[in-house]
Amino acid sequence: MPQFFLNKRLIILLVSIIILVALIGFSLRDRDQLSWPEKFVKDTAGWVQSVVATPTQYVVGIVENIKDLQNTYEENKELKTHLEDMARLEAKVYSLEQENAELTEILEIEGSIGDYEPMQATVISRSPDRLWHEMIIVNKGSSHGVQKNMAVMTARGLIGKVKSTTPFTSTVQLLSAMDPTNRISAALQGDKKLFGTIEGYDKENEWLLLKGLPIDAEIKKDQMVVTSGLGGIFPGDVPIGKVIEVVPDQFGLNQTAYLKPEADFYNISHVMILTRGMEIPEEIKVEGEEDEGEDL
Amino acid sequence: MKRFLVPLLLTLLFVIEGLFAQLLPANLFNGDYILVPRLLIMAIFFLTIYGSVKHGIIYGFVYGLLFDMVYTEIIGVYLFLFPLTTYFFLMIMKVVQTHILVVSFVSLISIAALEAAVYGMNLLIHIADIDFTSFTEIRLVPTLALNLIFVILFAYPFKKQFEKFADRLRND
Repeated sequence: MPQFFLNKRLIILLVSIIILVALIGFSLRDRDQLSWPEKFVKDTAGWVQSVVATPTQYVVGIVENIKDLQNTYEENKELKTHLEDMARLEAKVYSLEQENAELTEILEIEGSIGDYEPMQATVISRSPDRLWHEMIIVNKGSSHGVQKNMAVMTARGLIGKVKSTTPFTSTVQLLSAMDPTNRISAALQGDKKLFGTIEGYDKENEWLLLKGLPIDAEIKKDQMVVTSGLGGIFPGDVPIGKVIEVVPDQFGLNQTAYLKPEADFYNISHVMILTRGMEIPEEIKVEGEEDEGEDL
Repeated sequence: MKRFLVPLLLTLLFVIEGLFAQLLPANLFNGDYILVPRLLIMAIFFLTIYGSVKHGIIYGFVYGLLFDMVYTEIIGVYLFLFPLTTYFFLMIMKVVQTHILVVSFVSLISIAALEAAVYGMNLLIHIADIDFTSFTEIRLVPTLALNLIFVILFAYPFKKQFEKFADRLRND
């Protein structure tokens, strides 16, 4: 025994393994907030990162602009065909909006679950440890009003949710993360709305998994999936993706749909953090959990 | 001023690793492969071999902790693995000679070991759920290919820089 204790290297190794397990256990806990040293480090790093990121993004932007010029002719042709349809759609949207406003006034409904206020944010860094940690760091933090679990989207669709905030930066966990706790309440748009949760990501095909759909539901290809807005902090009707394929789940009680995400999880430079427009009832606000709101 | 040259260089590499995904043209691989830049740990390897072992291990701890806090939010994995891989690297370097080509090759092997260890750790804490074969295909091989390019580009500048650092340490 004494020989064992005299082996200095072994003792150091054992002590560091104990510290390691304690630290990992501490950070894997479902934390509401980061500890202040972490916040301080992340803010300082965020400042340095944005100092470096701003000029580089400017240069990358110029390069991309030049690349865009090459495709201008083809894009122009394609856009012209879209444009013809635009006028008709615009008129239709206008009349629908009018009608909607009148009807909601008659029914005295205040606000809708789909209301949100976007907040612009710029990506200052992305975790290099990809595949395990699909995270981006953006330049808006709790001092700008960002809260944990808020929805984050690009112009094309939902990309993830806020994982943690510091006063001046926040970390966004992308939908493509493998983290099993990364769940979002979603709805399938159709004649009858079907609800499920987005959980999991198929790395090989780059598909999202929408689980918990009823077994007897008929789901067609290319049906649109949006956020349900039932989770509490998320607004509703933010596009997530389109159905590619539906399979029964492993016990045959539910169906799982594979979605092709609308947004590109790779090329992200500007994002919108969504603040829900409609008031959240008090009880849910306290719990602040994604799935708690579902029984409502 | 020269005293801060090494931490400044390491911090710059740390920030560049975070920016790398933004800088790489998106349509080049379109997310099929994952390329992880490992410039920081590469610099630490070269620092231990050409600069000083003590500084290398300490910087391994400090930047491992920073990496965990900023990029993964799980404290412990890199804090533990950066110094451990540096130690592993030193163990191998004891049996081979310190020619720049050998150092480059051994640092690539150590990077592979680091990647595998991170995969193992994440498998343990249920963050990773893919099998080893797809991990090799998607992440390990592309990462090594990328870092081979980096080591070719940076081995000589790193060596020069850290030899100067060692000289300064001796003169102090």
